[in-house]
Amino acid sequence: MNRPLRALNASLVVFVFLCFNADDCFGGTTPTAAPQQTVIIPGPLRSFERMAAISQKVPVEKVLPLFARNVFTQGYENGRPTEFLILVDRYLQQARELQSLADSHGVIHIADCDHSATLLQILGYRLRSGCGQKEVFLMTSDSERAFLTIDSGFPLTELEGDLRKNTPFTYPFPVSRVPVLLHESDWSQLGSDHARRNPNLIDVLVRDRLVARLYWAFAKLDDETRLSLARSPGLSRLLPYGGVLDFYGTQICIRNGHVLVPGGTAAESTWKSLVGASPESSGDFVLHLLEKDNGWLAAYYDAVARVNPTQQAHLTESARLKPLYEAFRSPDPEEHAANAAFRKAPSLLVLFTRVQWDPNGDPHVPGNLAAWRNLPKQKVDSKIIRDWNKRARRWGNQEQLLEAMVAASRVPTDNGPLQIYLTISELDRVRPSERHLSAPTVGLLAAKYPQYGRWYLIFSEFPQLSEESIARFLTVADSINGIPHLALRGNTLGTFQANVGLWQILARQKQIPKAELNASWQKTIEPFAKIASSTQLLDASHQSLGALMVAAGGKRSWSQYDLIELLAGPVQESPNGQRVHAELARRMGAVLEDQQLVSLDTLFALSDGIQQMERGAGGGDKLVPLAEDLHGFEMPQQIFTKNEKVEWAPTIYSSRHAELQIKTDLTKTLKTSASRAQLEAGRSELAPFVRDTLVGLNYAYYEPPGAQVLHNNPLFVRSHDFSGFSIVGAERPWETPELFGIGTPAGGGAYLIGSLTDLPYALAAAEQDFIAPENVQALIWKEVVPDLLVSAMLPRWWNISSNELHAVALYQRSGEEILAASVANEQLRSKALSILSERMTPQRLEQTDSSFRAGSRPVLLPADNFYLASGFREKFPDEDVASFGPASHELESLQHRHSTETSFVRLSQDFGTPHPILAQTYSLELLSVKPFPASGGEDSRLFGESWDSTNLYWARLADEMGYSPVMLNRMVPELTRRMIAKIFATDLEDWSAVQRAMQETGDEFREGKIASLQITTEGSGH
Amino acid sequence: MCKRYFLFLLISLGLCTQAGMRARAQDDNGRILVNVNLVQLNVAVTDSKGRYIPSLNPQDFIVAEDKIPQRIATFEEGNGPTRSLIDVPPGASLTEAASTGSESGQSHRANSEGQSPFGQLTGANVFILFDTSNYMYRGFAFAQDSIADFVRSLEDANKIAFYSYSRDLSRAATLTADRDQVLRGVRSTVAGDDAALYNCLLLTVKDTAHYTGRKVIVVFSNGPDNASLVPPEDVAELAQSTGTIIYMISTQIAHDEPVSTAVFERMSKATGGKAYFAKSWKDEARAFASIRDDLAHLYTLTYYPAANPNRGWRRITVKLAGKDLQKYHIRTRDGYRLLQTAQLASGLSSGPATEADSARPQ
Repeated sequence: MNRPLRALNASLVVFVFLCFNADDCFGGTTPTAAPQQTVIIPGPLRSFERMAAISQKVPVEKVLPLFARNVFTQGYENGRPTEFLILVDRYLQQARELQSLADSHGVIHIADCDHSATLLQILGYRLRSGCGQKEVFLMTSDSERAFLTIDSGFPLTELEGDLRKNTPFTYPFPVSRVPVLLHESDWSQLGSDHARRNPNLIDVLVRDRLVARLYWAFAKLDDETRLSLARSPGLSRLLPYGGVLDFYGTQICIRNGHVLVPGGTAAESTWKSLVGASPESSGDFVLHLLEKDNGWLAAYYDAVARVNPTQQAHLTESARLKPLYEAFRSPDPEEHAANAAFRKAPSLLVLFTRVQWDPNGDPHVPGNLAAWRNLPKQKVDSKIIRDWNKRARRWGNQEQLLEAMVAASRVPTDNGPLQIYLTISELDRVRPSERHLSAPTVGLLAAKYPQYGRWYLIFSEFPQLSEESIARFLTVADSINGIPHLALRGNTLGTFQANVGLWQILARQKQIPKAELNASWQKTIEPFAKIASSTQLLDASHQSLGALMVAAGGKRSWSQYDLIELLAGPVQESPNGQRVHAELARRMGAVLEDQQLVSLDTLFALSDGIQQMERGAGGGDKLVPLAEDLHGFEMPQQIFTKNEKVEWAPTIYSSRHAELQIKTDLTKTLKTSASRAQLEAGRSELAPFVRDTLVGLNYAYYEPPGAQVLHNNPLFVRSHDFSGFSIVGAERPWETPELFGIGTPAGGGAYLIGSLTDLPYALAAAEQDFIAPENVQALIWKEVVPDLLVSAMLPRWWNISSNELHAVALYQRSGEEILAASVANEQLRSKALSILSERMTPQRLEQTDSSFRAGSRPVLLPADNFYLASGFREKFPDEDVASFGPASHELESLQHRHSTETSFVRLSQDFGTPHPILAQTYSLELLSVKPFPASGGEDSRLFGESWDSTNLYWARLADEMGYSPVMLNRMVPELTRRMIAKIFATDLEDWSAVQRAMQETGDEFREGKIASLQITTEGSGH
Repeated sequence: MCKRYFLFLLISLGLCTQAGMRARAQDDNGRILVNVNLVQLNVAVTDSKGRYIPSLNPQDFIVAEDKIPQRIATFEEGNGPTRSLIDVPPGASLTEAASTGSESGQSHRANSEGQSPFGQLTGANVFILFDTSNYMYRGFAFAQDSIADFVRSLEDANKIAFYSYSRDLSRAATLTADRDQVLRGVRSTVAGDDAALYNCLLLTVKDTAHYTGRKVIVVFSNGPDNASLVPPEDVAELAQSTGTIIYMISTQIAHDEPVSTAVFERMSKATGGKAYFAKSWKDEARAFASIRDDLAHLYTLTYYPAANPNRGWRRITVKLAGKDLQKYHIRTRDGYRLLQTAQLASGLSSGPATEADSARPQ
C-alpha cells in the first residue's frame, strides 16, 4: 500500500493532530457545570469508607464513585447480595440510629454511665458490671451490631474509658456530605422500582448494580463529556451499556457537542461509517458506539484512542481503520465485550501501541511475509487460530498480516501468533536496519516460540547478539530438552539457565564489553550443548563460568568471592561507591549463607581433586574437609511426619532434591581406595550442588527489598523445580516461573516451578506480602507491587554521573516551571497540554486544564513533568525555555555543556523501567504511554509497567539532598519498599494512591526520618 | 488495596467445613560471623494435674545442650528478682539475637559487685497476633473482647504489642506499656481477606528478636492458612532460636482441621508454649487466663554454652534433679540453631516502628 498519507512526515502528523486536540479540547470550551451537588451519608465519612472498602485517603469527590465501583465489583454474586453489601447496608442502618442520638450539631453526648444504655444497645455492647462498679468493661451483646461498630471504627476504647470513669462521652457523629455527579435525582430516577422509592443515592447504589456501574463509568469521564452524555442520549438510554462505558469509555471526548475521534477530522468519516452516526451528533454517536457489536466497536475505539498520535495517524487511515475493525469484530461478534471481570482483548492495545511502520507506511513485518505465512500451525483451540491456519497462505501483503494479528488479539492466550509477532517485532526494533532479523531466523524464532519465547527477552535486551548466537541458543536448549534422565535434565536446565542469567547480569552492568558480547555468549552456552552425564554437566558449568569470568575482566583462576564482587557491580573508586558495592556483595553473600549453599570454590576444588585422584594422584584425605562442607545443609526440624506430608500436601513434593543432597556423602569415597568409576560417581554427585549455588546467585542478585523467604526458608532455592518433577503436569522448563505451594503448611514452603527467565518478577511476587502495610485496612496491591519492586531492584546506578543525576532533577523542575508559566499564558498552556495529552486520559487532561484556569500550577506526576520538559524542548525548539525559571535555565546550560549525559535517550536508559510484557525486554526505558487499563492474567502487568515516576522522583530527591549517584543503589530499593507500605488504594487503576505514597515517603526522607538512608559526610556527589 | 472480601469467606468456608547473646567477628572475607554466648530458657514445671510447682532452686535444674552439661548463669522465678550464679565472662553482653534492636539501646553487664546483668528482665514482652482473615469473621467481636480482657489483665510489668494479620501483617500497636494504646489497636482491626498466618508469625518473631528479656507471642487464630509462603517449620525454628515462646489459641475450626491442630500443638510445644482450642468465647477467656498464669510461673534460666563444635541444630534438654522432683513435668524449648546475621537483619529493614511512629492514621 502506497498512499500519500503514509509517506507523511510523522512529526507533521503529530503536530497537526495535537494542535487540533489542544485547541478544541482546551481552547476555552469549559462547560458551564451546575454548582456541585452533594448527597448525605449518615455518620462520619471515615466510618463509611472503612465499611465500603474505600481508602481513607481519597479526596471526598472520589467517595461516591468508588463506592459505586465496589458495589458492582464486590456487592453481588449470582445476582444475590454478598456479605460485603449486606454489611454496608446494615452499617447504614446503624449509622442512622446513631444519628438519631446526636444533637443538632451532629454530636453524640452521653452524660454518664447511667445514660449509656441506648447507645450501647445500638452498638451491640453491654457493660460487664454495672455503672459505678470497679470493672466497667464493654462486652459484646449483639455480635452483628458489634461487628459493625468495630469494623466502622467507632471509638470503643474511649467510650469504655469514659464509662469507667463515669465522665461524659462526646463523639462527633455528623452526617457527611459528598459531591455527586450531576444531580442526585438523575440517578435515583434510574433505579429499580424499589430503589426509586428511596430517593437517597447511597441506597439506590446499594440496591441497583446497573446504576452503580453507570455511575462509576460516568465518574471516569471528563466533565464536559459527562454533561453532554447526560443530556444526550441521557442516563436511562445509557444504563444498559454501563459495562461497556466502564471498560471502554474513558477515552471518549466530547467538545461543543462534537466527539473528538481518534485520528482527528481526517478519520471522522470512517468512524461515522463504522459507528453508524456522525461524531457531530455526539449522543447518537456514543450510543451507537457502545451498542454496536456487543461493545466490540467501543473496545476497538478505546484501543485506538489510547495510543500516541503517530500510531493513531497510521491506524486511522481510511483504508485501514475499517478492515482492522472487521478483523477484530469477526471472530465472535455474539460474545459480549464487557461481560467479564476485566476488559477483553488487552493485547490489541499492546499491538496498537507497539506496531512498527515501514518508511512507506506499511506495517513492519520482521523477516518477510513468507516467514509468517508458514508459521507452524497453532494448537490453540480457537476458531480464530483455525481461520488463521486456513488463510495465512493466501496473504498477499503486510496489511493482511496486521489484520490477522488484530483478530488474534481476541484469543485469550499468552502463546499465540500475536505474542510471537509482538516479541519478534521487538527483537527487530532494537536491531539496526542492516542487522534486521533474516527470514530464516524469524521462522526459527517463531517455530520455537511456544517453548522458548520467554527467553527471547535476552535477545531484545542485547541486540548485539548475532543471529548465529540466537540460533545456537535454540540448538543448545533443544539438546537439553532431549536429555532423557529427569534429574539430569533438571540439573542441566538449572545450571544452564543460571549461567545465562549471570551473563545477562554482567552484560547489563556493562562489565562484558560490547565487542565481547557475542563471543562470550557463545562460550557461556556452548559447553552445555551435549550433556549426557552429571560429570559432563559439572565440567560444562565450570568451563562456562570460566569463560564468563574472563569475558567480564576476571581472572582465569577465580573464586566465588570474585564472582560475587563482579555481580555486585563494577569496581568503585569513591568511598561511597566502595561502601555500597560492599553492601550489595554482602547481601548476596547473606542469601547464599541463609540458603546454606555450598561454595563454588569447595565444589570445584572437590571436582578437581577427585579428577586428580582418578588420574592416580593421592590427596583424598585433604579433600575430606571439603567433602564435609556438603553436610553444612540441614533440613529444618520437622513438624510433620512423612505420612502426614503425603496426606496433607499430596500434590507437592518439593524437597526431593534437598533430601538427595543430604544423603550425599563423599567422605567415604575419599577415605577409601575407591575405583576410578567410584570416584567418577562421587564427582557426579557434585552437580546438583553446583546447580543450586549458581541458581542461588541469580536469586541473590534479584533479592527484593524486605525479602524474607530468601532468608528463612533454606529450601527455597533448592526446591526450584526446573523439570516439573514435583507436580504432575506442571512441567514448564523454559517458561516464566510460577509459585506453587502457597498456603500449604505441610508442603515445606512455597517454591518456583519453571525457568529462570523473569526471575526478578517471580521473586518480587513471592516476597511482596512480607511488606507490612502501614494503614490498618490496606493490603499489598498485588497487581502493581511486583513491578514497582522490579523497577527498584533491577536497575543499578554505577555509571551515572553527577551531571546526569542533576539533569533528571532539573527536567522535573523545568517541567514544573513550564506549568507555572502556562498559568498566565494560554498559548504556552496549549503547547504544554498538547504534550501531556500523549500521557493523560481526557479526564486528567481536563483536570490539568482546570487547574490552569483556576490560576494555579497543576501538580503532576514526576514523569509527567519530566516528559513535559523534554517534549517541549523537542517539539518547540524555538521557545525560550530558559526563561521559564532557574531550573530551566540551568538545564539549558547543562545540556549545552554535557549534551550526551543530559540527553533523553541517556536518561531513559538509566532511569527508565523495564517492560517485559509491554516491550518484551528488561532494558530500561522511559515509554511515554498513557496508563494502561487494568487487565487480567499476564496482561495485568501492563498497568504496573506503565508507571515510571518513582525512579525519576527518587533520583530528584537524591540530587536535591546531595547524595551521590551510587547511593541510588541503596536508596531506591529502600524508598520503594517504604512507599509500598504506604500505598492505600481502592481500585485497580488507583495511580493517585501510588503518587500519594511516593510523596509521603519522599517527605519522610526529606525530613530525615529514614535513619538507614541518612547522608554521611562523604555523601555529596557534587 | 483495601481489604474486605467476604465473598471469598463464604466460598472458602463452604469448601472446608534466647535466645542468646551474640558477639560478632569478621572473617577473612569481611563477612560477619555470629556466636551465641548466652542462652535463655523459660521453663514451666507442673504436676500431673497441670498445677505449677513453685519455689524450685537453680540446683534443681539440670541443663544439657547436645548432651553437654551446662552451668546455669542466672535464675529467676516468675516475675521475681534475677539471681546471678556465676561471673559473667568478659565481653559478654545481654543483647538478644539482633544486636541492633535492643529495646533500651543499652546492653546490660554484670559489674564487679556481682549485680545481675538482668535487672530489667522482670515481666515479659508480649506480642499478640490476631487473625483478621475471612476465616475469623463470624466470631470477630467476641474475639476482640477476649483479647481486650487479656490485655487489661496482664500485669504492669509486661509490655504488649498488638498485631493483626490476614494476607499481610498490620502492626496496630508496637510494644508499649500503655494499655490504652494497645486496646485502641485491638479495636481498630478490620476483618477480611486471605490468611497468611505463618508469614506474619515469622515477621512477628523477628520483631520479638529486637528485644531483650522474656518474649512471648500469643496467636489468636482460626487456624487455616491459605496464603503463607514460609512453612511452620521455619517459623518454629526461628522462634526457638530467638527464645520466643509461642502460645496459640484457636477456635473450633482449627481443631476440626488436622493440619492446623498438628501445627498449633507442635509449634507451641517446641517453643515452650501451649496450644488451646476454644469452642466458645468462655474457652477463649480461659485460655488467655492460662497464658497469663503461665507467664507468672515460668522459671527463667540462662547459661553460657559450653564448647560445642555443632554449628547446626543444638538440642536442649532440661531435667529436674533428685528423686522427689521426677514426678513433675517440664516444658521449655527443645533446641536452637545458630542464626545467621542476615536472618534477623533482613527483618530489621521491615521491622516494627517505634512507639512514636505508631500513631498512624487508622
